[in-house]
Amino acid sequence: MLKKRVIFTLLYDSGSFMLSRNFRLQRVGKLDWLQKNYNFSQIAFSIDELVVLDVSRNERDEEKFCHHVRSLNDSCFVPIAAGGGVRTLDQVRTLLQNGADKVVVNTLLSEDPEVVREISIQYGRQCIVAAVDVKEVNGEFSVWTENGTVQQQIGLAQWLEDLQSFPIGEIYLNSIDRDGTGQGFHIELLDCLPVQAEIPLILAGGAGIPSHLGEGLKNSRADAVATAHLFNFVGNGLQKARIELLDEGFDLARWDVQLANSLEEVLA
Amino acid sequence: MKTNEVTVIDYGIGNVWSVMSALKYLGVKAELVSSPERISNSSTLILPGVGSFKKGMEALESNSIDKAILNAVINNKAKILGICLGMQLMGSYGSEDQGSSGLGLVANRVDRFTAEELNGHKIPHVGFHSVEFSEKEGLFREFGDSSDFYFVHSYRMHVEGMDGRYATCTYGTEFLAAFQVGNICGTQFHPEKSQTNGLLLLRNFLQDL
Repeated sequence: MLKKRVIFTLLYDSGSFMLSRNFRLQRVGKLDWLQKNYNFSQIAFSIDELVVLDVSRNERDEEKFCHHVRSLNDSCFVPIAAGGGVRTLDQVRTLLQNGADKVVVNTLLSEDPEVVREISIQYGRQCIVAAVDVKEVNGEFSVWTENGTVQQQIGLAQWLEDLQSFPIGEIYLNSIDRDGTGQGFHIELLDCLPVQAEIPLILAGGAGIPSHLGEGLKNSRADAVATAHLFNFVGNGLQKARIELLDEGFDLARWDVQLANSLEEVLA
Repeated sequence: MKTNEVTVIDYGIGNVWSVMSALKYLGVKAELVSSPERISNSSTLILPGVGSFKKGMEALESNSIDKAILNAVINNKAKILGICLGMQLMGSYGSEDQGSSGLGLVANRVDRFTAEELNGHKIPHVGFHSVEFSEKEGLFREFGDSSDFYFVHSYRMHVEGMDGRYATCTYGTEFLAAFQVGNICGTQFHPEKSQTNGLLLLRNFLQDL
């Protein structure tokens, strides 16, 4: 049995990291500011994976984003998934060469599935994370792309079923309605998964307190939970949350967070 | 022998930033090196890598890096740590893509997980998984009976015939997760992606061997 995972998501816009609420962004600070004021390394040593998304609302500067992905490698010793605006195999290669282990794609899935296939042939399906942004409209779950601005015609259940036959490693299912609200995950989204769903699923959007992470993880359909909420899990918040989850019996990977300090510069 | 300088072998295969970052975190000087002469004269080597066994060996052979590694490790007793594909390339033979010989630093061979062995488990094997240690010295100093490490692979090295300290993981079938035979070490998992468990193992490699 593979272990369940707790993932942290960093949202990036034009050189800064952001807080998001219902996909509306608020600037938090640059990477060094994040390290200093949010003790990001404490967060980084308490997670199973890091996702970093370029959600720039204006034109994206890919080189600058890649530079940030590479810098995150310095303080983060877990797999990193990076994405936002990924449309070509070249972009994927560049992200992987800059320290990403996986790439996150969204619009590309519906717009050009052939490129998704090429990525999987070149780098393996395990390195593709399919992001699905969901909003409830008139009582129906609908799928949105382009940072939540364009509604797709397809309904969530149909899209999740279609995705099962894509060459992808996992699905990142994010609720736009719950995003940044801290009200807890939109667990009902999981009911839209096909009965025979085989692709691992990451549930995102809404976690505000440790018990929310547990509510997601205890659902058998969620293989991982993600939060992008810097304020609610600031400092040792995620570390404490992880300990609580392990105490409650969730099968998460174990390591000694305290060792991080004693190993830093130990050989210098 | 405590290490202050590490040569990370650059042969164009795979992502090396996280390995470099982990070494930097531990406070050692690390350099990416592709020159066979410099590899040959190094006292501490790390061989990273992801991808196919055959392509990996071809990349090592095309620049005579294979000979440089063997000279450093066998004649000069340099210590070496192979990571993921890097560990597999240290074996005797890999059956991927019609097969090719490895560096032969250990006698073990590398094969794909068979469908019978997997018994429903999917490949690639991806994620944190428990690793069991045969003993807790050398490369495995300060670990408990089992520890979690991050894996991404579809091929694995067989345990049979491993003559040294080793650690195993079970994914449908038992396979070699890590080993230490004197100055020769390998990990199928990624220590640079395994939080403090991985940093601790890297420290042991650099400080104790």
